[in-house]
Amino acid sequence: MNGELRIGTIHIDHGLTAAVIALVTIGCITIGSASISLADREVGEPLFFLARHAGALALGALAAGIAMATPMALWFRLSPLLALGAFAILAVVLVPGLGHTVNGSTRWIDLGAFTVQPSEPARLALVVYIASYIVRHQREMSASLSGFVKPMLVIAGACVLLLAEPDFGAAVVLTATVLGMLFVGGARIRDFLLVLSVAVGALAWLALSSSYRLARLLGFMDPWADPYASGFQLTQSLIAIGRGEWLGVGLGDSVQKLFYLPEAHTDFVFAVLAEELGVIGSTLVIGLFGVIIYKACVLGPRAAKAGLPFQGLVATGMGLLIGLQAWINIGVNLGLLPTKGLTLPLISYGRTSAIVTLAGLGLLARAYHEVHEAERRLPAAAREDRR
Amino acid sequence: MSRRRRRAQVSLQRWRSAVLLISFAVAAAALEARLVYLQVVDQAFLVEQGDDRHLRTVQISAHRGSIVDRNGEPLAVSAPVDTIWANPQELRGAIDRIGQLAGVLELEEDWVLRRVTSNLDKNFVYLRRHLRPDHAARVLQLGLPGVATLREYRRYYPSGEVTGHLLGFTNIDDQGQEGLELAYDYWLRGESGQKRVLRDRLGRIIEDVELIAAAKPGRELRTSIDLRVQYLAYRELKRAIADSSALSGSVVVLDVHTGEVLAMVNQPSYNPNDRSQLDVANYRNRAVTDIFEPGSSFKPFVVAAALETGRYDASSTIDTSPGYLRVGNRVITQDYNDLGRIDLATILARSSNVGVGKLALDLEQRQLFGVLSGLGIGRLTESGFPGESAGVLNDPEYWRPVGQATLAYGYGLSVTALQLARAYATIAADGVQRPVSLVAADAAPPGRQVISATTARAVKNMLETVVSPAGTGLRAAIPNYRVAGKTGTAKKSVVGGYSEDRYFAIFAGLAPVSDPRLVTVVVIDEPRGEDYYGGEVAAPVFSAIVSGAMRLLAVPPDALQTTYVARSGGGR
Repeated sequence: MNGELRIGTIHIDHGLTAAVIALVTIGCITIGSASISLADREVGEPLFFLARHAGALALGALAAGIAMATPMALWFRLSPLLALGAFAILAVVLVPGLGHTVNGSTRWIDLGAFTVQPSEPARLALVVYIASYIVRHQREMSASLSGFVKPMLVIAGACVLLLAEPDFGAAVVLTATVLGMLFVGGARIRDFLLVLSVAVGALAWLALSSSYRLARLLGFMDPWADPYASGFQLTQSLIAIGRGEWLGVGLGDSVQKLFYLPEAHTDFVFAVLAEELGVIGSTLVIGLFGVIIYKACVLGPRAAKAGLPFQGLVATGMGLLIGLQAWINIGVNLGLLPTKGLTLPLISYGRTSAIVTLAGLGLLARAYHEVHEAERRLPAAAREDRR
Repeated sequence: MSRRRRRAQVSLQRWRSAVLLISFAVAAAALEARLVYLQVVDQAFLVEQGDDRHLRTVQISAHRGSIVDRNGEPLAVSAPVDTIWANPQELRGAIDRIGQLAGVLELEEDWVLRRVTSNLDKNFVYLRRHLRPDHAARVLQLGLPGVATLREYRRYYPSGEVTGHLLGFTNIDDQGQEGLELAYDYWLRGESGQKRVLRDRLGRIIEDVELIAAAKPGRELRTSIDLRVQYLAYRELKRAIADSSALSGSVVVLDVHTGEVLAMVNQPSYNPNDRSQLDVANYRNRAVTDIFEPGSSFKPFVVAAALETGRYDASSTIDTSPGYLRVGNRVITQDYNDLGRIDLATILARSSNVGVGKLALDLEQRQLFGVLSGLGIGRLTESGFPGESAGVLNDPEYWRPVGQATLAYGYGLSVTALQLARAYATIAADGVQRPVSLVAADAAPPGRQVISATTARAVKNMLETVVSPAGTGLRAAIPNYRVAGKTGTAKKSVVGGYSEDRYFAIFAGLAPVSDPRLVTVVVIDEPRGEDYYGGEVAAPVFSAIVSGAMRLLAVPPDALQTTYVARSGGGR
């Protein structure tokens, strides 16, 4: 097994760890660069956002450590509670007076010193819940449509709460992640196609039913038609990316971050990165996400074979959650997808996202460790067979 | 397949994970393709779009040259100020914050709103010009899109109203409008340059990309003015005008050696730094723009013309009996007393109209005109000051005998204070006339001998008797210096003749007599107190200014009076 090392009793996947550390580092550098002028102007401290992000990363590392030290079986048993908790916090944010509204979206709970975005931990909890559901209802899933539809109804309920915020992007990522988990978890292809078409239809209807979402859609189709209004953000993003060329304008030398590109340190941090580091830097980031996605997805079948399907599904779910969000965010930055208000995991400024993503990666690392332990206990023949 | 089902109830089929991975890989390939398309293929278009937004050609305002006095003291300096302008197309996006902007700009919200909305086809409108840099910084702090500053310069005049008339002022575009600012605009004016800059979206300049044309700053103008003398003259004139409730007044101080104007002040004045309460009438530099009939202060020039004929000398006498002069059947001239037969010096000392009138009538018209014109009467000076008047001296062709006699004591012609000063300076410089200059001269410019040195010295010595107990100008005297000069009290010309109760009080003089350094002319328009004679109203002003100036310029005394001061406190 390449990239494995036993440290004490914990097995660590080197490639995965290196990719995560690299992304987090690139994230810090890019946030620092992208937010320095904004922070200086808004707060008077150039490194305000970077410092806060670094603090969140430290908390995230702690959360990842706890996840790595906690047996997955505990999460399996707690999964119904996790799902209830997810619904609870998604509902709390909608209670008037508790939710904190930014740019017309009520996505945050203001805890005084800290603003929490409940959709982040809720999505992680629901991924864990769906993984346990698939394991518990395997027979029903492979036998009838209801086995497939039931979890989708749960997710649909969560989506309704997310759309009430509104957080369309989070709903899309959650739905797609769960569909992916059900697909890997053995859903019948015809059920899958049926539900997929219903889900796509519902999302399309949602997209077209609200004028603001429609405006965003139209803006993305031809941003240059109205570059100063609906196409403003995207054209600024495209200009930033175009300025990067092969090698970038150089670290810290982005011009678009100087108030031209809105949300330069959050949703559109990739554009600043592309401007400063060019094709080379952007490709590196895509590649590093590729490493995480690959490591998570290959762990699925391997875990199942080792008798740990829950661990495999959680790992697959994490890969989907991070991968989908990354690909969608980059696609938005590149003008391939409509603007969504999604951040780039591990790179964008966003403290809840940083903590939850690292915690999720901690679960992935724990799953890897348990799978590795289980494989060691398997007969040599089985291991041979797996090869 | 069968193998997997055998082993675990839940099997994660490897092909399904593979489908997932392939989907991610396909999406990644799409992202990568788009990335390369944007960064390599479409790059030129995007960079151009970026440059359209980031790059601006901005004007580099050139610093206008300072105006300093002869010793380098600043008289007019350009201080940096910031002008707030807006790009209405960009500011449109923040139209709801116009009220905030107007508040900080201290402007009417409606006005700002109209200015933006009615200029949406433009890229540049001024919002407020010439703000102090700290005020402009507060405007920028609002962070409104399309609102930016432009560095400009505003003129400040440290000596305010003391030099107001002389310097004039500039308009908001830094162009000279009046006075020396206008006369030497070509010299002071800078040439603004242009540069291409990289701006952030708030309009702040991040980087200079390219210099298109460098700004050429204006040059410094060193004037002939001595600020110390100017202050002194201003103070004394202002006091005299107030004390005598006069309408207006002027003082000119010339350097006899070089023709430079050391001081030129007027009342009433104005403060060029605060033009909000300006009375346009007060803009005039009366010393060069306003003309008046010089009255008796003109007499020395007629005496000089008489001496120039060679038929008269210092000992020549004129019979002024019976104290009046008839031309034809009209009494045109009267003295206060019958002075009898008196010499030329006494004519000046006692300011005899009859004596000088007789003298004038005895002179050939062309010769008299030639001497007066040579002294600069009726001719512009070389000062180059905008709006200067040349005064009036008619051609002899139009003279009648009556006119020739009244001309002799300063009626029927007019001069400016500067012209009068130039003529006295010519006498002071032994008949050599040097161009009058408001700009500092490094060396005395060559002069022109317009009357003989002998004549000039004779007149100068006669004028000294005016400032004596026997003359009308005793109050012009200065301790320790010999002073020569002439008083003048001219009735103001009114419709249908001359006023009987409105006068110009004049004193023109030079000091020190042994080697004249300064010529000073004091003109006071309509003193309304009990005193209105030049010798009473203008002469003390002359004395105060010249005595102070002598000290300031360290002119050696030529009549040192030894004063014994009783020593006190020889032991208690």
